[in-house]
Amino acid sequence: MKVRRPRLLILVCWLMSSWISGLALPSVAAQTTEEPIQKSVVKKAEGGVLLKASSGKAPVPAPLLNTTVTMTISGLIARTTVSQEFRNPSDEWAEGVYVFPLPDQAVVDHLRMKIGERMIEGKIQERAQAKKTYNTAKAKGQPASLMEQERANIFTTSVANIAPHAPITIEIEYQEVVQYDQGRFSLRFPMVVGPRYIPGQPQNILEPSPSQHGLGWAPNTDQVPDASRITPLVQHPSHRPLNPIALHIDLAPGMLLQNIESPTHPIAITKQGTNTYHVSLQDTATYADREFELIWAPLSHDTPQASVFTEQRDGETFLFLQLMPPTATSAEQRIIPREVIFVIDTSGSMGGSSLKQAKAALTLALTRLTPNDTFNLIQFNSVTHRLYPTARLASGSRIHEAQRYVKGLKAAGGTEMQTALTHALAQGANQEASHRLRQIVFITDGLVGNEEALFAILQRDLQDRRLFTVGIGSAPNGHFMRKAAQFGKGTFTYIGTTTEVQDKMNRLFLKLEHPALTDITIQSGGSTVRNLLPNPLPDLYAGEPLTVAFQTTTLPDSITITGKQAGTHWETTQSLVDAKPRTGITVHWARQKIAQLMDQRTRQKDKTLLQQSIVELALKHHMVSRYTSLVAVDVTPVRSDAQTLHSHALKKNLPNGMQYEAIIGWPQTATPATLYLALGSIMLCLTWLWSRQHLAG
Amino acid sequence: MPDMALVSTASRRLVTIRMTWVMASLLFAFGSWLIGQGAWIHLKAVSAQWLLQQAWHTSLNTHVPAKPWPWADTWPVGRLIVPRLDIDQIILAGARGQSLAFGPGKVRNGQDSAHDSQNIILSGHRDTHFSFMQDIQDGDRLIVQNPQGKWLSFTVRSMEVMDSRIQTLPVNQDEVDLRLITCYPFDALSTGGPLRYVVQAEITQRLN
Repeated sequence: MKVRRPRLLILVCWLMSSWISGLALPSVAAQTTEEPIQKSVVKKAEGGVLLKASSGKAPVPAPLLNTTVTMTISGLIARTTVSQEFRNPSDEWAEGVYVFPLPDQAVVDHLRMKIGERMIEGKIQERAQAKKTYNTAKAKGQPASLMEQERANIFTTSVANIAPHAPITIEIEYQEVVQYDQGRFSLRFPMVVGPRYIPGQPQNILEPSPSQHGLGWAPNTDQVPDASRITPLVQHPSHRPLNPIALHIDLAPGMLLQNIESPTHPIAITKQGTNTYHVSLQDTATYADREFELIWAPLSHDTPQASVFTEQRDGETFLFLQLMPPTATSAEQRIIPREVIFVIDTSGSMGGSSLKQAKAALTLALTRLTPNDTFNLIQFNSVTHRLYPTARLASGSRIHEAQRYVKGLKAAGGTEMQTALTHALAQGANQEASHRLRQIVFITDGLVGNEEALFAILQRDLQDRRLFTVGIGSAPNGHFMRKAAQFGKGTFTYIGTTTEVQDKMNRLFLKLEHPALTDITIQSGGSTVRNLLPNPLPDLYAGEPLTVAFQTTTLPDSITITGKQAGTHWETTQSLVDAKPRTGITVHWARQKIAQLMDQRTRQKDKTLLQQSIVELALKHHMVSRYTSLVAVDVTPVRSDAQTLHSHALKKNLPNGMQYEAIIGWPQTATPATLYLALGSIMLCLTWLWSRQHLAG
Repeated sequence: MPDMALVSTASRRLVTIRMTWVMASLLFAFGSWLIGQGAWIHLKAVSAQWLLQQAWHTSLNTHVPAKPWPWADTWPVGRLIVPRLDIDQIILAGARGQSLAFGPGKVRNGQDSAHDSQNIILSGHRDTHFSFMQDIQDGDRLIVQNPQGKWLSFTVRSMEVMDSRIQTLPVNQDEVDLRLITCYPFDALSTGGPLRYVVQAEITQRLN
């Protein structure tokens, strides 16, 4: 007996393991020997069973898009022309619809359509009217183009009646103000709309409503009523990338530069004049798959302390002022303990390089906590999970625990941001009397379709907290980053590549750990300053300039700016006598005004009045907005009624670094149930055998 | 001296027995936990379908998509019946991991909901809802009910193994057809493999 038992044990173990390997074998074999499987697929495909294209008629190819971007940066203001060439490769007449991003603060004020040698200037119209104008022209066979705004940073261009094998080019022109922060100027140009997560239940499955009807992959839902307009189809990464793009920048910084660089693309810089540069992409084969960023740093002694510009329009004077506040000295280093809630997005769109960057940023941020600070960590995808029920003191072992938690994070599922935000804003709700600085660091790509609902929550529940957004990845939602930070009274930071993490986070820590300049007011001698924007004035964090625009009938000689920093009063007087005239100040002001009205929209139930004011402003200043579009129509019809027009939704690339499978594409269709059951039964068997052998014998 | 030896042997034996007990119970506990995990996946797969049946009927009657339970991130969008194999399942919107735990999911592929219904792609877990796919034969009848309450009858035309690394999802905008997708091979223990089993069926009849 004693001799036979071990043999029995070995026999059973052997049987079990062979069963396991037998089960596992097909998958291993299938993964290693690709060839026979590929062959079988090809064979069937040839037989016309699998691929419908081979049995039916070939589909009409969509227009091909080619983009050229020309920027002229002169001091603080940049003017950009985006030229989109729609080339029709088919024998049929085509309409191309392209959904693409622009910087979230861009003021789009021109649309031109180029057919051969002719140029047709676009007109601004109310959105519904513009759509009607476009559709009428489309039906009549006239070449037409339409530029609509879906979000502050998502636009749609439609181009109708593109002749077979011919191109139509449209030129879009916009203006923006260059970003200044901690001694560096920067400018971002998004190239691709990141795939948005659409929460909510689909509406009107039975009859899609024509007004919000888009060509995207998502159905409209109760939470995102225009989802189908902001979710362009994605080209599978195994296919050739689409939408080649060229970039030409003329940079006249107006000061001596220390360096010019781009963390996102290799660039070629040529010096043109004494202080002007030409920047272009080194790689001629660049495709629209990630955001471009250009950074230039002036020599420290050459940074201007203030810039003032004016523009006259219809008897009104518009003024633009950018002012560098004093930098906080090290003596003012904070001593107030903080409560920091870290929120990290672990949804499917964060998969790949984005999650790596987010983890690196978060790990770094954790090391900056002192034992007097409290913290908590929240991760969210389809569900929200917190590390601790409430914020805990940041002891060494807790930091360690948090870092282990971060290390184990994986990206999958949806982006249910609403719950995560509510959780973050409910943290330590009972500690009203606490003297801590309450900060929320929100690490995400912001790829959601329900931005306005999130802004509304922020405004409602912020209290004395400050929200700092950290935008991750190659195609973050810039509109979300800026606005969430604005409503959260904090700042935004972008991290586009892993090498940037350290530098960009250090810049953020400076803001988190130094006292902000708060309660900023601007007074002019008389009461002539009207419509000061932004309103309310934001707090300024370390290294941020004060940027304002206002309207006035008579320009005051000077204005006084006051504020509070770490409890001490700060005041400066800025002379306006030297204000230089400059075009573009009026549209900048108008864009800020529209942004303010759009912000009010998130709070107000009745939106019709706001909509009217926005339409009025946008029409007056020839600007594209949510409610106004640019439309260009060629009067001469080119397509006869007999020829049919094929509509195509142009595909976009998957943003660089993202995982296709994590967002769209082949679903994961296996559970680990069988594995669990098999391993579990083996263990129980072993237990039984082992205990029998040892305890009975 | 012989006494001492006897005592030490006995105590060593006691320690060994105790160690064995600890090890055995640990192994037992972990084994039971694993079985529990495996069983939970199957339990969820079966019990959710019951709740989904109710939500589907509500959706059909009210013409508004109903969530099966308040915190669900998906909703029923159809019903799949395979008469020969006695299969009757509620189809969910989307094919993300979360929804597939409860039922087969309809992959969003069309340009809009109108085109979406033209080309139906359903996916399910090979070891729960879609394990029946290994028994499907050429010529089998598959019946789908769409959100409008219409019944569509399909006939299986091909079964195929595809490699998700090199092939794209078969999307066809112009013709109504049905594709069922699950992971392949059916009895593999590891998850996340690149192969998919794809059944293609052609529409043969509209029943109402």
